[in-house]
Amino acid sequence: MRPHVPVEMIGGAMAARRVPVARRNLLAEKTRLLMSVGGVAFSVLLILVVVSLYRGWGAAGGLFEELPGDVWLAQVGTSDPLRTTSFLPADRIDEVAAVPGVGAVVPVYARRISLDPARSELTVYFLSLDVPSSGRQPPEAQRFLPPPGTIAVDSVLAREAGVSVGDAVSVLGRRLVVERVEPGGNPLFQIAFMNGDDARSLLALDRLVSFFLIAVDPGADAQQVARAAATAVPGSEPHTSADFANATRDLVNQGFLPVVGALVGIGFAIGGAVIALTIYTLTIEKARDFGVLKAIGADDRFVYRIVAVQSLAVGLVGAVVGIASSALVATLIRRRVPEFVTDLRPLDAAGVLALALAVSAVAALVPVRRISRIDPAMVFRA
Amino acid sequence: MTVPAPLLEVERLAKVFGSGRTAVRAVDGVDLSADAGEVTLVMGPSGSGKTTLLTMIGGLLRPTEGRIAVDGIEVTGLGKAALARFRRETVGFVFQAFNLLETLTAEENVEVALNVAGVLGRPARARATELLVAAGLEGRLGFGARDLSGGEKQRVSIARALANRPRLLLADEPTANLDSRHGREVMELLRGLAQEQGCGVVAVSHDARLESIASRVYWLEDGRIRREA
Repeated sequence: MRPHVPVEMIGGAMAARRVPVARRNLLAEKTRLLMSVGGVAFSVLLILVVVSLYRGWGAAGGLFEELPGDVWLAQVGTSDPLRTTSFLPADRIDEVAAVPGVGAVVPVYARRISLDPARSELTVYFLSLDVPSSGRQPPEAQRFLPPPGTIAVDSVLAREAGVSVGDAVSVLGRRLVVERVEPGGNPLFQIAFMNGDDARSLLALDRLVSFFLIAVDPGADAQQVARAAATAVPGSEPHTSADFANATRDLVNQGFLPVVGALVGIGFAIGGAVIALTIYTLTIEKARDFGVLKAIGADDRFVYRIVAVQSLAVGLVGAVVGIASSALVATLIRRRVPEFVTDLRPLDAAGVLALALAVSAVAALVPVRRISRIDPAMVFRA
Repeated sequence: MTVPAPLLEVERLAKVFGSGRTAVRAVDGVDLSADAGEVTLVMGPSGSGKTTLLTMIGGLLRPTEGRIAVDGIEVTGLGKAALARFRRETVGFVFQAFNLLETLTAEENVEVALNVAGVLGRPARARATELLVAAGLEGRLGFGARDLSGGEKQRVSIARALANRPRLLLADEPTANLDSRHGREVMELLRGLAQEQGCGVVAVSHDARLESIASRVYWLEDGRIRREA
């Protein structure tokens, strides 16, 4: 057989565009296309909102990394600050401060307290950094250091407790005023801050502290400083801020990760089913067209390529719409529900996009048998 | 001096559908030939086996017995991939029902046939335009297939069939769905193309008007050639 291709058609132009059969097929029935893209977008929206919700709640652990310090000295066995109790002798602070490489030491008081005795579920983890009130603090530390007689809460806790700035709450029988409400928080555990003077008197911890929070001098080896500081306080062990942050994130993971996994799986299953159904019905509907293409010499690969492009196009457009709308939906919901703390990360969005395309590619395989069974001789039947 | 072989040689061709007592011999021992530059017409009543014969010549249906050779290619011995290549490079089809892809424009319908053969982009577009202009459709290039009249659709179908410069054009009832004016135009187009491009045309039809453009006419009845003129 001779190649009937003119010389001018050989070369770079061979890699040029094809007739966009796939796009035309999709656009021919706009309602179906809209429904398919909408179905995929909805699945991606569901997946991304759940993932970003997980990220948002997990970010609560980051609080321990935001506090002004690098190393936490805690009682031996205190791997998780929220679920274990730590007591250290307060009078060892000078020995800790004398350790080479220690820049500053802050006594920290911590205790879970029921904010409203009538509601046992409203238990708040109070943290107090015992920094002298007279000292000037950097603005970023202000939210951890409320003035005497006040507390700082997050918006989730404020909503749970039904309080706002200026309201008074009863903490262990003393009235403390809400001084600020920070955005964020999560429904799994609430953390609030109180003044060091209030904590000392309320928690009756005159000779004890929960932790020593150590700021390591710049250039000093944090690990070495941590080990040396631990030897200065009998019965203590060092943890980095990252250790405590991760322990807190684990709390979220344990409660939330299986749910996230299930919902993400369901989301992808729905998205995949929508694409597969669309592509399969489109293949059946266009069986005669594919028969014509086969009759004029197209091999199965040529036809598969059209089907694959259709599938990937639906997946791509649906995923992009889903990603864009998930950011909008998360913002809108959060206006009404403070617990809806989301953190939509570009890497997560890119991952979901890649998975959506992978699901689309798999969905394109559904009509493969149907395509291979199309008899090109059918085109001679009127 | 040797006589050149015909473009198309069909020998003792048969096709049996079904088996046992329900077996039907749709084509039964057909011999025919066709030459380049000529229109060969196979006529016969409905159900006489015309379309089955054409389908086998075009490599879309495997015969039960016999031999088909087109431009020296033994079609009956080709595998699936080679048959697809044969269809895109050696033969072109013109269908009774036009079989254009409705979602594409006239130009794209021709271009897609070139894409199938691996010709893409501007060269494909230029060839499609050239063929449609030659078919008198210069004002319809960007029209959607569904917006064309029956005659225009058949012209696009012919242009598509010629896109890859086939040696043999196979036309199945090319005038059946057309009124007399458009039918005549399509007939003239087929004859002109056969002469200009040097390809052979085998048309099956029960339209007696086609006899006027045919160099050779076979009369098929009950799957057998009854007459040759």
